[in-house]
Amino acid sequence: MSNIERIIYEAMEKIKNSDDEMLENIRSEYFGKNGILTKILKSLSHYSIEDRKRIGFETNKAKTNLESEIEKRRKGLKKTLIVQKMQREKLDCSSIFYFPFPKGSFHPIVQTIQDMILTFKSLGFLVAEGPEIETDWYNFEALNIPKNHPAKDIQDTFYLDSMKNLLLRTHTSPGQIRVMEKQKPPIKVVVPGRVYRNESSDASHSSTFHQIEGLRVDKNVTFLDLKIILTKFIHSFFCYELNVRFRPSYFQFTEPSAEVDVQCLFCMGRGCKVCKNSGWIEMLGCGMLHPNVLGSVNYDSELYTGYAFGMGVERITMLKYKIDDIRLFYENDLRFLKQF
Amino acid sequence: MKVSYNWLKEFICFDFDPKELASVLTSMGIETSVVSRECCWRNVVTVKVLDIQKHPFASKLSLCKVSDGLDSYSVVCGAENISLGQIVPLAKIGAILPGNVKIKKAKIRGEDSEGMICSESELGLKKKSNGIFVLDKNTKVGVALEDILRSDSILEVEVTINRGDCLSHLGIAREIGAKIRKIPSIPVIKALNVPNLNCVEAASDLCPRYIGVFISGVKIGPSPIWIANALEKNGIRPINNVVDITNYVMIELGQPLHVFDLKKLSSEMIFVRRAHNDEAIVALNGKEYRLDSETIVIADYEKPIAIAGIVGGKYSGICEETEDIFLESAIFNSNLIRKVSRKLNLSSDSSYRFERGLGWDIAELASWRATNLIVEVAGGIVKARQDLQTIKYKSTNISLRFERVSKILGYDVKKDEVVEILRFLGINVQLKDKMVLCAIPSWRNDIKIEVDLIEEIARIKGYDDIPQTLLDHKESDTVIYSSNNLFLPAIVEDFRTKLNGLGFNEVLNYSFLEIDELEKFDLECFYKIVNPISKENEVLRPSLLPALYKNLLLNISYGCERVAFFEYGKIFAKYGEKKTFAIIMWGKIWEEWWKWLEQKIIPKYDFYFGAGVVKNILPSNEFKITENLDPKNYYHSGKTANVVFREKSIGQLGILNPIITGDIKEDVFYFEIDLDLFDSICFKKKSFYKTYSKLPMVKRDISVIADKNLQFSEIEKVITIFMKSNNILRKYTLFSVYSDESKFENNKISYSFRLSYKNDEKTLTDKEVNESMRMLLDKLYTELGIELRQ
Repeated sequence: MSNIERIIYEAMEKIKNSDDEMLENIRSEYFGKNGILTKILKSLSHYSIEDRKRIGFETNKAKTNLESEIEKRRKGLKKTLIVQKMQREKLDCSSIFYFPFPKGSFHPIVQTIQDMILTFKSLGFLVAEGPEIETDWYNFEALNIPKNHPAKDIQDTFYLDSMKNLLLRTHTSPGQIRVMEKQKPPIKVVVPGRVYRNESSDASHSSTFHQIEGLRVDKNVTFLDLKIILTKFIHSFFCYELNVRFRPSYFQFTEPSAEVDVQCLFCMGRGCKVCKNSGWIEMLGCGMLHPNVLGSVNYDSELYTGYAFGMGVERITMLKYKIDDIRLFYENDLRFLKQF
Repeated sequence: MKVSYNWLKEFICFDFDPKELASVLTSMGIETSVVSRECCWRNVVTVKVLDIQKHPFASKLSLCKVSDGLDSYSVVCGAENISLGQIVPLAKIGAILPGNVKIKKAKIRGEDSEGMICSESELGLKKKSNGIFVLDKNTKVGVALEDILRSDSILEVEVTINRGDCLSHLGIAREIGAKIRKIPSIPVIKALNVPNLNCVEAASDLCPRYIGVFISGVKIGPSPIWIANALEKNGIRPINNVVDITNYVMIELGQPLHVFDLKKLSSEMIFVRRAHNDEAIVALNGKEYRLDSETIVIADYEKPIAIAGIVGGKYSGICEETEDIFLESAIFNSNLIRKVSRKLNLSSDSSYRFERGLGWDIAELASWRATNLIVEVAGGIVKARQDLQTIKYKSTNISLRFERVSKILGYDVKKDEVVEILRFLGINVQLKDKMVLCAIPSWRNDIKIEVDLIEEIARIKGYDDIPQTLLDHKESDTVIYSSNNLFLPAIVEDFRTKLNGLGFNEVLNYSFLEIDELEKFDLECFYKIVNPISKENEVLRPSLLPALYKNLLLNISYGCERVAFFEYGKIFAKYGEKKTFAIIMWGKIWEEWWKWLEQKIIPKYDFYFGAGVVKNILPSNEFKITENLDPKNYYHSGKTANVVFREKSIGQLGILNPIITGDIKEDVFYFEIDLDLFDSICFKKKSFYKTYSKLPMVKRDISVIADKNLQFSEIEKVITIFMKSNNILRKYTLFSVYSDESKFENNKISYSFRLSYKNDEKTLTDKEVNESMRMLLDKLYTELGIELRQ
């Protein structure tokens, strides 16, 4: 072992266990004005050119090594200090101490409408809107519900002005008429909105509620297309391939008419309280546009056919969240709202 | 309507069990469920009583030996009517009785009992019964009880409003027949040859057909068991033979009938007419009804004797002494029946059917059927009859094009199948080249046009009877996929997202208010409901405020300390419905937090905080918040501001008037904005990106003293103008507002600003910054008299 190598070895050993102050001492011991390595470099003139080169090279190399070793040790010490500091600063991370940001919420009905619309948009539907104050023509007559028809009784109507036949729409179907009046086929729209029925409210009835109406008119639109689109909607809205059943029914504005049942979400069709042991839940009404409806907007029902469907948003939302009283939606109790 | 499964089988032969039948009918558009199966037990067999001994420890009980022919069983029995040799039902061990009663091996007062001898009520056959059920002595033993009783199932069917023809056993049987391609058998009816009598007068708009039959010498008494049973199964209480027969025929064939006691009528002439406005009648239910000219009545010379199609009069009803009767089978104007039934709040099995329309031919069929039964059951002689037809009945004829079937349905149905279905629906068909001419039977008054027939074909085939391969193909699309139109206007989506992040809760309220609620907020009502059924539905809301305020109070009453709500909906203002968005907030901005409690920070919503929220959510700086020169009366006149968009005032914000909020100590902040303008405006950022310098800002703080009455916006104006000419001042913020009369003169207020300076090209020197500050102070002094606070 050469002299320099020995010096370095000794220095390295010292560094290993030094604290910050000792490191400073080591630095001056070796690199200071009278430091060991400084001295060696100063004495180089005593040697031969060849030795000078060799010793100078080794000394400088030793110096670089030592310096980086000291730096390493210093960083190590600093890291240890921070680690210790962090350990001392350890907090109780129980969530009760966290800042209580108030949580916002969206109303479940609005949310359901938005979800449905996104689904319908992905199926190629546009969105249209109609007024809530309607006339007898749009709400009833244009939809093939004549004056004395029993269907008018089922949909107990709020009248605003009996002279002008102003009323609150009892369904979103007048939206169909307004869309068809405005444009020619092809039409593919959904009409969401608020509707009103003049009936006393209870756990499953509300004077105000929401519907989404769908309408498609074109050449060659068929009942089969309706089945396909609604099945797709249901599968995509519930994110599950629920069984879907089409059942003949009766609506003034469609013929053929159908009601659509889906496999009960709660028992998966085995039968439970919610589906009254039938395994099915009534989801929506639909059908092929009645020729009289097409006629009321001057469409040629020989040339064009169309389908329409409508569903109650509250009902579906109640099923989705197992809510048993429709009035909860309009009470706006924070204990309810915050759950959504 | 209730339907008996066994009775249906008398009309038509089919293989479905009750549950299958329910699902078949449901798939045909008649929602059906099985309400009761009379046989709801298992393991109950017939046994013979071989021996009876007294129970050693209980005087009321006996020990019986019974046998099913193979084994004998010892059973403890408590019934008094038990005797040797009887055939009785034994629920063996393992049997399950109605109410989920399970029969187990038991010791009764120390004696083993291997089952239970049942009463009719225990078997669910009757509600009440005395003693055990004793069967006919010729009954075979060891046979399952349900096989002995041939038990029936009751179905509850719900018929859509257009299918009045299905409101009978015959009607349902016809539907089953169409499905399984069989023709139901109609009861044997004898049309009698009796003299015709002109005794009825009716107007064609009230009553297109009226068939009356005079029968004399009937004997009123209880109905035979088969009629009484049939009525009970269908939920109708048996009364007497004649009345029961009318009900029996109604549920059998669908035609409501009525009988009058001839002796109680003042004339032999019957009138079907509109009631006079002052007339009244005491109905069979004992109540008196006042009538008007919309009501059709059946009347004699003097007075109404029945409200047509709805209920009979008490006076002319059948009683024990009745001998001569007049049997009515008629068709009335269904619209009038419905109107009157609703007006009088009186509906019956009869009105339910009349409202839905009846078949022309069925009236006659039912009249004969009931006549035959009355003569058979109650005796009497048919004296005379009249079939008054005030219109000439014409059957509906429709031509159905085969090509149209697939055009509407989207799949092909074979010609043969189309024709077959139509035939089994009772339609008379006549084949032409590409179409079929259809004569619709009188009872199907719901079939009016071609598509109605197409629906029938799809319905009888089954809506779900479409090959899967067809369902898998993609719906053809000619509509272009949609752009950015959503249910909510873009601006509302923006509000909702931001407010949700700020911890606000979305609410929805009814569109209605009570009139009294408007007064409190000094709001004007523009739309009144003409026919509200409750006080809550009196008027349409002219503002979202009253309901939101009610929501606030509700939640305060539950102990909430913070309420921050927003709502989007329509209000009904002077010029119609308007899309509106509103925010209400009250209470603590944050919940109490332990770290802040130490520093005593419990911030509450006030005007400035609320306005900050509004400013934050407004989507662009095209919206300006300005002084409110015309505040709504529900605002605190000194704490309110105005929102302006492109020079137009579109909303107001502020603290609610203390007169309204009364007992609530803290401020209630409310903001309402009219969104009708924004349906078509997109608020995505449109301005171009600006380059920015990476040089640091130089910040200086100054405090100035201003007149208290000076609106701060005036100071802002001066600074803004100054910033335009002096381009190194880039930003100013207000960090302190201070007024202390002990330190400054009266009516003075101190504002402290932080001013930020920057030059994009080079680092600023102190000298440049000082010069700029001095110039600003000069401007403030000369224009507004504001001085630097020393």
